[in-house]
Amino acid sequence: MHELLHHPAVQGGLVPFFVALLVAELLQRLRLSGLAVAAGFAVTVYLVVGFSFESLTAARKIVLLGLAAPVATVVLMPFNAAWVRPLLAAAGGGAAIWVAQRILQQQGPTNMFLWSAGIALYCGWMVYWMDMLSAHPARAASAGVALGLGTGAAALLGASALLGLYGMSLGAAAGAFLLIQMLTNSRLPAGRPFTLPLSLIAALTGMLAVLTAELPWYALIALGAIPPVAHALPVSEKSAVWLQSVLLSAATLACAAAAVFLTWRVAGAPPL
Amino acid sequence: MQKKNVFAFSTALMIAAGLPLAAHASNSYTVDPPHTFAHFTINHLGFSTMHGRFDKSSGKITLDTAAKTGTVDIAIESASVDTGFAKRDEHLKSPDFFNAAEFPSITYKSNKIKFNGSKPASIEGELTLLGVTKPVTLTVTEFNCGTNPMSKKDECGAGATAHIKRSDFGMKAFLPNVGDDIKLEFEIEAYKD
Repeated sequence: MHELLHHPAVQGGLVPFFVALLVAELLQRLRLSGLAVAAGFAVTVYLVVGFSFESLTAARKIVLLGLAAPVATVVLMPFNAAWVRPLLAAAGGGAAIWVAQRILQQQGPTNMFLWSAGIALYCGWMVYWMDMLSAHPARAASAGVALGLGTGAAALLGASALLGLYGMSLGAAAGAFLLIQMLTNSRLPAGRPFTLPLSLIAALTGMLAVLTAELPWYALIALGAIPPVAHALPVSEKSAVWLQSVLLSAATLACAAAAVFLTWRVAGAPPL
Repeated sequence: MQKKNVFAFSTALMIAAGLPLAAHASNSYTVDPPHTFAHFTINHLGFSTMHGRFDKSSGKITLDTAAKTGTVDIAIESASVDTGFAKRDEHLKSPDFFNAAEFPSITYKSNKIKFNGSKPASIEGELTLLGVTKPVTLTVTEFNCGTNPMSKKDECGAGATAHIKRSDFGMKAFLPNVGDDIKLEFEIEAYKD
């Protein structure tokens, strides 16, 4: 059992999937099923590197923000004003610069400005668009699966298994959330507790894989297309949830596959 | 008042004049990068022991063999990690291991060298890896000084080893499959300034 828990597929796939399944079911009545994603991510972090924050590296900052995001969403729950979404997007952009701070400080002024603008835009974009899906659980979960798996697989090919597992855990947890909806043909409450941690962790993981590993920056464009595609795809909300999920997953996973392909062309097979 | 100033000025001059004399007691050396390497060995999945090294390093060493004191200040470029397989090197540079983009330098600093006779026997210092600083003692395995027959310059060379646990420095990815214990071996040559 102990050896099994050291296997990357178990750490980044099976365990977060089952933990998310359990959390989504248990917290359904409290309308906090969306916390399943953060729970899946947290258990992967625990199994892979543990909750150590000395020294506060970029990867550890992602963990810190990933754990803080669900708390922030619970605090923000009473507020549904129009200003919340842009505020969250701006906070996402700021979080990207904070996470990459040490790397940015080592660049010349031009690169520092361009990189800062790029990562802030990517993270802000991702948070904004995923937040648009917060009231649409099937769309949010389908986008979450694609975003998590796409980011994870691309990061893995880009030579960071740690970031790869972070992404995979999001995909697995979102998959559990989606599976419950497909099997029960009913919608689980997603909300910001689902979309904010997922978008923030996935975006920060993707941008860190670009800055520290071999993920090409343009792979982020393919990943960034996932939430808008899930939002814009003309799938009737009245149709069966499993059908919506299959159609939405097919479209969003195609974007994820494009990101993985672009990374594979640059980085080749993952190191073993 | 004026007398006091003259006295203070004279004292300062005397101290300043004395400093170079004191400094001459120890010799300063600059590391010769082409002949200075940090090697490491680590267990891979319980099957074998893999070797790697860092290709780029720099630093300064001072030695006072008479007073049996000295200092070591070495910086190793994380991104110069070389295991003979480019894909693995990229992985080692990533946040999983040496996190070269965030932490471009690994440093070792010491001001406590223990001597056995006229030769250094061990170096007690601090290794900073991934932003974490821990005490690490190097055991000096060889030490020789003389004139380099090629460059005709005075230089010293040394070999040293140490053992660390990578988890102590927060490098925890793939434990325990990829080993925690790392053996470090240094070969250093340094020219007298």
